[in-house]
Parts: sequence; structure tokens; C-alpha cells
Amino acid sequence: MKSLINFKSALVVRSNTKFRKIKLLMCGSLFLFSFMTIGYRTISLAGITKPNPANISFKTIKSDLNKNLTRGNIYDRNKELLATTISTSSLNINPQEVLNKKNTIEKLLEIFPQLDEVALKTKLDSKKQFVNILREISPKEHVLLLNEGIEGLKIRVKHKRIYPNNNLAAHILGSTDVDGSGIAGIEKSLDSQLKNGKNIKISIHSGIQHITEKILFEQINKFEAEGGAGIVMNSKNGEVYAITSLPDYNVNNYSKVSDELLFNKATKGIYELGSTLKLITAAIALDSGLVEENEVFDVSRPLRVSSRTIRDFHPLNYAINIPEVIVHSSNIGSAKIAEKFGSATQLKYLRKLGFMDKMDLQIPEVGIPQVLMDRKLLSTMTISYGHGIAITPMHLASSTATLVNNGIKVNPTLFVSKTREKNTRVFSKNTSNKIKSIMRLVVKSKYGTAKKAEAKGYLVGGKTGTAEKLSKTGGYLKKQNIVAFTSAFPINNPQFIITVMIDNPKGQKFSYGYRTAGWVVAPVVKRLVTRIAPILNIKPQNENSLNFSQNLIQYEIRGKEKGANL
Amino acid sequence: MIRYPSFLVVFLIVVVGISLYQIKFFITQNEVALKTIKTKIVNAKSDLEILNAELSYLKRPDRIEKIALTKLELKEILPTDIWNLKDLVEATKSINARVPK
Repeated sequence: MKSLINFKSALVVRSNTKFRKIKLLMCGSLFLFSFMTIGYRTISLAGITKPNPANISFKTIKSDLNKNLTRGNIYDRNKELLATTISTSSLNINPQEVLNKKNTIEKLLEIFPQLDEVALKTKLDSKKQFVNILREISPKEHVLLLNEGIEGLKIRVKHKRIYPNNNLAAHILGSTDVDGSGIAGIEKSLDSQLKNGKNIKISIHSGIQHITEKILFEQINKFEAEGGAGIVMNSKNGEVYAITSLPDYNVNNYSKVSDELLFNKATKGIYELGSTLKLITAAIALDSGLVEENEVFDVSRPLRVSSRTIRDFHPLNYAINIPEVIVHSSNIGSAKIAEKFGSATQLKYLRKLGFMDKMDLQIPEVGIPQVLMDRKLLSTMTISYGHGIAITPMHLASSTATLVNNGIKVNPTLFVSKTREKNTRVFSKNTSNKIKSIMRLVVKSKYGTAKKAEAKGYLVGGKTGTAEKLSKTGGYLKKQNIVAFTSAFPINNPQFIITVMIDNPKGQKFSYGYRTAGWVVAPVVKRLVTRIAPILNIKPQNENSLNFSQNLIQYEIRGKEKGANL
Repeated sequence: MIRYPSFLVVFLIVVVGISLYQIKFFITQNEVALKTIKTKIVNAKSDLEILNAELSYLKRPDRIEKIALTKLELKEILPTDIWNLKDLVEATKSINARVPK
């Protein structure tokens, strides 16, 4: 019986031990499983699935940093900085936190002697909790403030748009408002891209821009003019290297500049640019086939049309052909050519050249041309020599480029072109070559009106224009002129266009009282070409050399003494 | 008496615990380092922008022109200063032809 009991109890102990083992194993497994699950999740959350920070590429960090975007920079075509954003600190104070106002004022005046003591006291007596003391403080002043340990000071870091070149290309760059949004120029037209931190490269060449501004400024002063505009543009792809509108301003002080200075004369202002338009008249005549190349026009007598009499500045007493009309700048000849091809043809070509539309330039300050569209004979005639048609100097530069670019339209651009766009043809290649030949004669011929534009070796060709200034109340101001010169160089293979306009020059002693384009703007082009050609890698040519490309037509130009009386 | 499975469980718990602590420590350390690097980059970028602006201010064409004229006595390049090599050869030939032998 005892042995049976022992056997039973032995069985119970064995089964208990086995059960305990199973229980322990199950608990252990469960515990381990739970621990591993939690562990895995903790590790995964802690970063095992994240890239190892030590291995994060600089690119990732950079893009991460760029989330806190500052406005993009603007560079010129050579990556020279034109506009950038920097961080600055502003000095503010909470008057309620200031314990000793007298002491605080003394300390602040020691660091910032420019502050007004009375104004500072008023600010500190204010019931407000946040008062601005200075909009901008230097890092050095910031350190001095920290060393003084003034209570209640609040230094706030803010972004500031700066233009390191001050006045350079002021009208093109434009500016931003206090919130950092573009309000003019490139800053406005490319605002969204710049706001997204994108850097912009424009086609402006800082060096050429400076030279253009300087030379034009000197000439404006020399002739006591009101202002002027200058454009340097690639004649093949329309890339603008310089746009000047004078007087200009320091872009860093944009908010304090008057509207008059902000006005962009080169792209926004529309002017009657006078005889420079005769080039287009000649091109229309030659291209349309409505006027014979050798046809002559009697310019010996003033031309009376309706109520108006058209006269020449240098009258000739014989009949002249198209090249002579341009070289002598005959209004009568030009009017008679226009009469031959008529209003419809004239307007068709002007439309093709973009003279009816606002130019598609990458800044908002673009003027809309005004053209007399009444199709009357008088209007056709006056338009032919640049009266009754008001365009921007940029329109003139663009049309000159089209004339010399084998007749293919050139659209000005402020960006460096990567691909050459296919543009429409306005004039034939043959017409373009004839016009280039005539343009060269305007400068080279002893009867030309732009002899002072001759820059030795650089083969300048162009056309002058002197027009009476339009009065704001209507009509013309007889004693005030707009003088312009549009040119291309080297004219046997044009690379660049230079268009210059000066507003209201006064006759000077050295100019024998003359204030015509030949005296005022032609010398500007000569100086400009001589200065910028080496920068643009354009080499001077020797017209007498055997290597010279003789691709221009040598028209014979007769002077006053050589003319045959009618 | 500690059996083998129990010992394994305890060992695993210790290993996992230590690993977790190490990983957490490593992550925290790297995150602090990353934050420091980011701050340094932001500051360096800001400094660089100011330096670039200063450099651009110093490289202003009007300033360079003034220095070139006053300090270096540089002058404008005139067309007569530049010669086409072919023209130069031609000119030399014509001069040589004129010189009596």
C-alpha cells in the first residue's frame, strides 16, 4: 500500500515538473517574443530604417537646408553677382522689461551715437511690448550689445536684398519691397523663380554695361541734355549686353527714388526717333520690289503735302537714288520713296518688325509703340522719316538687328540663349546686304551724317536721327530734340548693335551750336565701339588689306557740288 | 539551479537591452552632430553670401576702372594696338620689298 502511494506521488511530482518546464518555456518564449517585437520596433523607430546620419550626402543636407529658402541671386553673363540676399539684424526692445531706462538709454547711445536721445526716451516710455529702435545693426554692434547685457532687447534676424554694384543696370534689375517680393525689373518678372531660391543668370555684361553708362553719362553732361538711353545687343541672337537709361539711381535706395528716375527710357519710353527710320523705308522699298534700285527722286524743292511742307536739313538741287537719300538723310527723298510703296506695304513691314506691339522682353517696363494708322499719304510720308511713329529705343535696336541679320527677325532677350530660335524672315538677304552697304556709307562717306562714329578698323555702319521733341500738351517743341543713332559693327559681318538716344541736348560752343545726332550721339558710338570691341573679341580690320571681306556694295554717293542740276 | 533556456533568455534580454541603449545613444549623438553641421552650414552659407556681396562690391567695374587708370596706368586698347597676324606678315613683306638689297 505504501509503495502504491509512493508510486502515485512520484507520478504527480514528475507530471508537475514537466508541466512547470512547459509553462516556463512558454512564458520564456512569450516574453522573448514580446521583447524582440518591442525591441525591433524601437530599433526601427530609432533609426535603423533611417539613413545613417553619418552617411547622409551633402546634397541631402543641402536640399534640407534649402527648405528655409532665401531669394535667389541674380548674376550677369559672366557669373558676376548683381543681386543677392544677406541676413541682417534689427534692434528692437520691449519697454516693459527695461528696469533702468536712463541707464539703458546711456548704454544704447554709447553704441549707437546716431540715435536721438529724446526719440529713444519716447520709445522706452511706450506702453507697447515691441518697439523697433534700429532696422539694421552690424555684427560688431550686435556683439557690443550682448556685452552690455541690456535687458529687454530683442535682436531679430531678417533678410535684406542688396545690389553690390549700386547703380549698374538699375533699370533692368528692378527691386523688391519690404516683404521681399519683386516690384520692378527682373526682380518682378522672375519673382516666383527667385522666391523659390533659384539663381538667375541674365545676358547683361557688367563691364560693357558700365562702359555704356559712363560714356553716355559723359556725353549727356557735355551737351547739357536731360537724359538718354543706350543699348548694346548681339545682332544675331538678340542677347542684350547692356541697357542704360540715364539718369539712373542706386538700386539699394529704390524706395527713395523719384518716378522720373525710375522711368526706363530704353525700353519703356517711346520717342519719335526721326531719320533712323529711313533705313526701314529704304529696306521696304528695296525688298518690296515696288521701287527700282536705280530710281531717282527729285529733292530739289520742298514737298508740300496737305497742310504740311516737308523740307531737308541739307537741301540738294538734284534727283538722288535710295543710298543717297539715306546718306544725305533726305526727308523729301524718303517721303517720295514711301509714296511709291504706299501705306499698306509700309504698315505690313512695320507690323512684321514688331512696331505695332509691345516687345516681349523679360521685364515689365516695356513701352507700346504708337504709329499713325490713318493710311493718309501725309502719315505714310512722315512715318518714312520717323515722324508720326513713336517707338522705344529697344524697338529701334531690334529692327536694326533684323536689317543686318540677313533680314531675319531678331527678338531682344535678357537671357543667355542656349538654343537659337527659328525666327521669321522680314527682309531678303539681298536687301539686308544693300542696307548694310548703305549704313556703312552713312559713316564712311564724306557726305554721311555720322562721320564722327567712325571707329578705325571696326567698320561701324548706322543711321542718325534728329527729331523735334513731342510736347506733353501736343505738338512739337521746335527747340528741343531727341537725337538717336542706331548702328551695327563690324558691318561686313555684323556682330553687335549699338543704339543710343539722347534727350534734349543743347548746342555747345565746341559743336558750333549744333545739337544734331551727328554731333551728339555719333561720337558716343565711336568711343563705345573702341572700348567694347576688344572685350567682345572683335578684331579691327584693315579695309585696304587683301584679307578684308569685300562683301559690301560700293554705292557712289554724290555731294552737293557733284549733283547734276535738273 | 539555472537551466540552459533560462540562461539563454536572460542573456538575450541583456544583449538586446544593451544593443538598444547603444543604438539610441548612437542615434542621439549623430542627430546632435547633424544639427550642429546644419547650423554650421547655414552660418557658413550666410557668411559666404556676405563675402560674395563684399567681393562683388570690391569688383565693381567703376572701381576696377579707377584703379586700373590711377594705380596701374593702364590705357584703352586702340585699334592700332591690335594686329591681324596675316596683315602683319603682309606689312613685313611690303617693308622688306621696299628695303634696297
